Amino acid sequence: MSTIPSKPFDQALFPDGGPRCGLLKFVLWLGFLGLIFAWGGYAMGRIFFYGIGETALDNYFGFGLWITFDLAVIALGAGAFFTGLLRYILNIDPLKNIINLTVIVGFICYSGAMLVLGLDVGQPLRSWFGFWHANVHSMLVEVMFCITCYLMVLAIEFIPLVLENRQLDKIRLIHRISHNFHVFMPLFAGIGAFLSTFHQGSLGGMYGVLFGRPFAFREGFFIWPWTFFLFVLSAVGSGPVFTVLICGIIEKVSGRKLVDFKIKALMGKIAGTMLTIYIVFKIIDTWAWANGYLPSVGLTFDQMYNDVYGTWLLWAEIGVCGVLPAIMLMTPSLRNNPTLLYTAAILDCTGVTINRFVFTVQALAIPVMPFDQWYSYTPNWAEWAPTFLVLAYGALVISLSYRYLPVFPQEKKLNA
Amino acid sequence: MSGHYGQFDIRWGMVIDLDKCTGCGACMVACQAENNVAIQTDASNKRLVTNWMLVFELSNGKSFPDHEVAYLPRPCMHCGNPSCVAVCPATVTTKDEEGGIVSQIYPRCFGCRYCMASCPYHARYFNWYDPVWPEGMEKTLSPDVSVRPRGVVEKCHFCHHRWMQAKDKARVAGEDPKALPQEAYQTACTQACPNGAITFGDLNNPEHTVHELAHSEYAFRLLERLGTEPQVYYMSRREWVRRAGDNYLADEKTGSVKNEHHS
Amino acid sequence: MGIDRRSFISFLAGGAVGTLVTPIPWKLTDDISIWTQNWSWIPKNPEGASEYVPTVSKLCPSGCPVRVRTVGGKPVGVRGNAEHPYSRGGVTPLAAAEAELLYSPARVRRPLRRTPDQAYVAISWDEALAILEEKLGAIKGYRGKLAMVSGDPDGTINEVFSAFLAKAGSADFYLMPGEAQVAAKAWNDVMGGQGAVGYDIGNSDMVLAVGADVLESWGQVVRNRKAFADKRPHGEKPKAKYVYAGPVQNNTAAGADAWVPINPGTEAAFLLGLTYQVLKEGFRVDAAPDFDEFKTFVMSNFAPQNVQRVTGVAATTLVAVAKDLLRASAPLIVTGSEFGQGGGGAAMVAGLALNLMLGGLNRKGGLQALPDMPQVVSGAKDAKGLRSADLVAYLADVDKGRTPLPEAMLFYEANAAYGLPEASKAAATLAKVPFKASFSVFFDETAAMSDLVLPVPLGMERWDDICTPYGSGEVNYQLARQVIEPVFEAVNAGDVFLALAAKLGMSLGYSSFRQVLEAKASAIGADLDALQEGKPFTAPAKVTQYALRMNPGVLAKAIKDADKGGDIALAPVFYLRTGTGSTAVPPFNLKTIRDTELLGKESFVQLNAATAGKLGLREGDRVSLSNEAGTCAARVHINEGVMTDAVAALLGFGHTAFDAYSQGKGDNVAKVMKTRFEPGTGIPVWAGAKVKIAKI
Repeated sequence: MSTIPSKPFDQALFPDGGPRCGLLKFVLWLGFLGLIFAWGGYAMGRIFFYGIGETALDNYFGFGLWITFDLAVIALGAGAFFTGLLRYILNIDPLKNIINLTVIVGFICYSGAMLVLGLDVGQPLRSWFGFWHANVHSMLVEVMFCITCYLMVLAIEFIPLVLENRQLDKIRLIHRISHNFHVFMPLFAGIGAFLSTFHQGSLGGMYGVLFGRPFAFREGFFIWPWTFFLFVLSAVGSGPVFTVLICGIIEKVSGRKLVDFKIKALMGKIAGTMLTIYIVFKIIDTWAWANGYLPSVGLTFDQMYNDVYGTWLLWAEIGVCGVLPAIMLMTPSLRNNPTLLYTAAILDCTGVTINRFVFTVQALAIPVMPFDQWYSYTPNWAEWAPTFLVLAYGALVISLSYRYLPVFPQEKKLNA
Repeated sequence: MSGHYGQFDIRWGMVIDLDKCTGCGACMVACQAENNVAIQTDASNKRLVTNWMLVFELSNGKSFPDHEVAYLPRPCMHCGNPSCVAVCPATVTTKDEEGGIVSQIYPRCFGCRYCMASCPYHARYFNWYDPVWPEGMEKTLSPDVSVRPRGVVEKCHFCHHRWMQAKDKARVAGEDPKALPQEAYQTACTQACPNGAITFGDLNNPEHTVHELAHSEYAFRLLERLGTEPQVYYMSRREWVRRAGDNYLADEKTGSVKNEHHS
Repeated sequence: MGIDRRSFISFLAGGAVGTLVTPIPWKLTDDISIWTQNWSWIPKNPEGASEYVPTVSKLCPSGCPVRVRTVGGKPVGVRGNAEHPYSRGGVTPLAAAEAELLYSPARVRRPLRRTPDQAYVAISWDEALAILEEKLGAIKGYRGKLAMVSGDPDGTINEVFSAFLAKAGSADFYLMPGEAQVAAKAWNDVMGGQGAVGYDIGNSDMVLAVGADVLESWGQVVRNRKAFADKRPHGEKPKAKYVYAGPVQNNTAAGADAWVPINPGTEAAFLLGLTYQVLKEGFRVDAAPDFDEFKTFVMSNFAPQNVQRVTGVAATTLVAVAKDLLRASAPLIVTGSEFGQGGGGAAMVAGLALNLMLGGLNRKGGLQALPDMPQVVSGAKDAKGLRSADLVAYLADVDKGRTPLPEAMLFYEANAAYGLPEASKAAATLAKVPFKASFSVFFDETAAMSDLVLPVPLGMERWDDICTPYGSGEVNYQLARQVIEPVFEAVNAGDVFLALAAKLGMSLGYSSFRQVLEAKASAIGADLDALQEGKPFTAPAKVTQYALRMNPGVLAKAIKDADKGGDIALAPVFYLRTGTGSTAVPPFNLKTIRDTELLGKESFVQLNAATAGKLGLREGDRVSLSNEAGTCAARVHINEGVMTDAVAALLGFGHTAFDAYSQGKGDNVAKVMKTRFEPGTGIPVWAGAKVKIAKI
């Protein structure tokens, strides 16, 4: 969306920072997203009308693409809470230049995940039973409460940005309201950090407590299995660079500089630090699992992998997409090279996605009863379509935000 | 985690003698009829078929002519330490009633399927679609068990309704509903089995056959080492069958490592 | 208008609390929780008082005793009958599914007439009877113009049918092929035995089942299985030894102490090999004047090494089994075909002879010679006559022109177009018959080629009976009680035939089938009330034998019977869970079929790895089984429980009629059950047929 000389019709709504593409071009882009919405909507319609049998999920793979997607985007959306924590609580000031984007990305990730969850549960109208009949022992209850609350927090964090639209901000009442939101932002950031840390952990805990699934089960500390901590660490080790990636994509598409590279490198350093800590513990955890836990229940490491779900997944997750990006992000000379930073970011995000995938799908593919057998799972179109719908939804929110909201404080300066 | 579920005076349980089971499938059919399990036009994709009771085929893994076969009927294990109960977000599935039957409250289930992910026995089934009966066939549904709509998880409940009926009957007769004789409460599969392979009763009650059988030197439970503590026992005089009931390292003796791991 | 911090918070909090104090969210959530439990399209449970009506299943070929549970008078399920001495609560997977079949989409709901454009139109019973009257009236009195096939192996209704045919001038009344006919031919014709063959499994301490799938589908199977269970206390050494000899490690093999794999169709050689061992110990049958001749024949032909070459059974195994038989106090040899039909006469004779030698005749836990029940419909074929009439031989004669093609053929619960050996050929022969009427519960393949289809009540909708079913060890009689009025326009075929006979002016002496049943009960001296309460009538009577023959001359010829049409021997397997030819697969039972037996629309055949390797086949390969009789498509499943050079194939697939639960699923293995006529006995045999297997 490169700038064009003639002023677009909706330019009065643009943020005070720079030009935006023509309205026609923007509408065409929205039309493209609309096609994806239609496709996803069709699948969702069928699923709501006929049942989840429309998907490739089954009684062995009750969790599949959607849960993997949810867990991955929630981990990658962790940039929001972690950057918020660093910016508002630890006062790392330069992060203010990217904080808005982290909030938007976080909001998209969490709201998108909620949308998919609404589709994934069998009786969506009853999904509030998790609150009403809450089972305090269930990690999923913790997840549900935290995600719901945190989505509200993200909404609250997002609202002032919306209110700062050039035209809205002119209204005195709205200006005051958004001001008040800003005043409370550290409080919300704090709450968000707490909630998010907990449910990132609980998502890991969800799998770690599955003592009937030797692939996922982990011992732990007090009520929290080790996966609780590993999921928190892997989320904060990847979320910040995911925001950087999104930022890079917006810059690429818009052709405008939006965030100073130094900020991105800083985000890379933050993520790299957490990733390094994570990967060390992940390796220890994997070692202990393979050599301690598995033999204790009569299983071997080799039994956890087959031709489809091979050990290559593990080497990819921990090696290529774990250790390697950790090194790249921790080495200043590599981190400060934009291409390498983005490469490391992609690897990092891929690693965490593989992690969420294997815990979701591979854990269920492995026969636990000796007379049972391996099964494989391949999602079908009815699962992909809503997934792409959520991606399109994300693109839509980002497009609208970029076009109409003052997301990037540095934009004016960097493009001067 | 076993502490959560307390001790019960009555523990309903099964002992399934795998030397007697010949794999005919009567238990599977009787269970479906008793519990209004939905029928399916194509039942060959086994991962989409609902079988509260499912007969697995076990092989000793040897080539002809040394091959041996055994059949293993698998109801819900009603674990002493169920992996499903703790994970359910909406308290749909509980183990809090005398008898230790792991419940499943269909009207409360919203279909997250976390319990299914937790269960290594694949005893839990999801209704991927609404159940459909050919016209008129719904008139042959049993009165005792409600029909489940799509979107909820279901599983074996040890014909819990029969227990309720047996208790009511005992109360009316002025007998102690907590001290039912063995024959007063039997599951549909137990009764249907022409080989008497399934024995059902109170594991805690020395007057019930299961009490003694569960202590047999040939008794074992599925995946005991994971710490699930099933209330369903199996027995076989054949070592390879017993070994098929759990995971063993090559150098471990069958039955040598019982419930070593507690979660 | 100013907003300070306090009013901002008040605004947020007030809004939230304000919404919660309105009834809106609470009412809405309450409604949702009620609403989502009461979807209008989810059926509700029936209401009413429960009753448990004892009867026997006419659906299940084993005649399983059951109790039908009714709620408000309507059947909701079938359970075993704990008070019945045979089943003691056990139930077969087929009998257990009967209630749902009341409303099976495959049921014939009203009389149907086929129009010239092959469509079926509903007609009234009066119209149907008028058509029958016209068609049968025209050929009445002419021999060879009318034939009938009954799928009921042991009901008194066959007397009504055969008397009807006799009065109409026809002797062509046949039962669908089963074990009883082979046993009768071997016992009555070849060996000169009197009465019907029975087996006292319950009192035997060593049961050697050769072919006969005694723990799955053979005889009064639940009774067999209760006997098996009694002799096997949990976790203890079994009190009776069970050995199964057959080409497939079937369900009987799974329960038995030992499985002796033998080549399909070599049961006779195996049994004579055992006889060789027993003869060595000096056992003999004094009642048979030709015993020494028989002994010479066996001793000179069935030394272990010879037997091993034919059957594939190692000499040591053979000797071990013989020792078990000799050691037992009540050994019993049960001979049969693995799939309940098409077995050879030689094997049956050899099995019976071995029982005789081991002193088993009319001994507790041995072979029994059972008297037949008195007839109550005059003019009906007697039991022996029923058993000796051979449908397969008749159709072969018709096919070859040795017997004229009948002008009309009637079928009663007999799915001849699907279930006969060489199914495609049999169906083609039947298709030539100008007029066919099928009395059937379900719209099966035979109904689908009939000009008239007449609905028969399901077992629980009619009065019926079972007279000493094949396999039982004593004379017994059970009444099948009508539990409800037929839910569709079905009428008991017994009543239809009595009415039709009256119309054609050839009264059978009864005005209702119920009267026939009452007469039967009275004739055998059974208490009708006890029968109606589900109690079986039994009689201890046995038939004493006078002039038995071992008939080695016939055996010597019959033993040479072998199909040489291919490399691989077909070993069909029959599970009750997959239904019979006339029930197809009940919806519940579909779930009992493994994905290595049926996947989607394709059925599987099973081979061991050695056989598959020889043929270059791998798991999942698509193959065709073929021989002169026909072709059958399947996929390959590797199962080490199948004899080398044999292919196991499940019966019950490949239906083209019935409903969505059966139609188009897999292929019908009966198509490649090539029939040959056993030399010496002349019995049509289709066990041990050979096939060629080719990858497709």
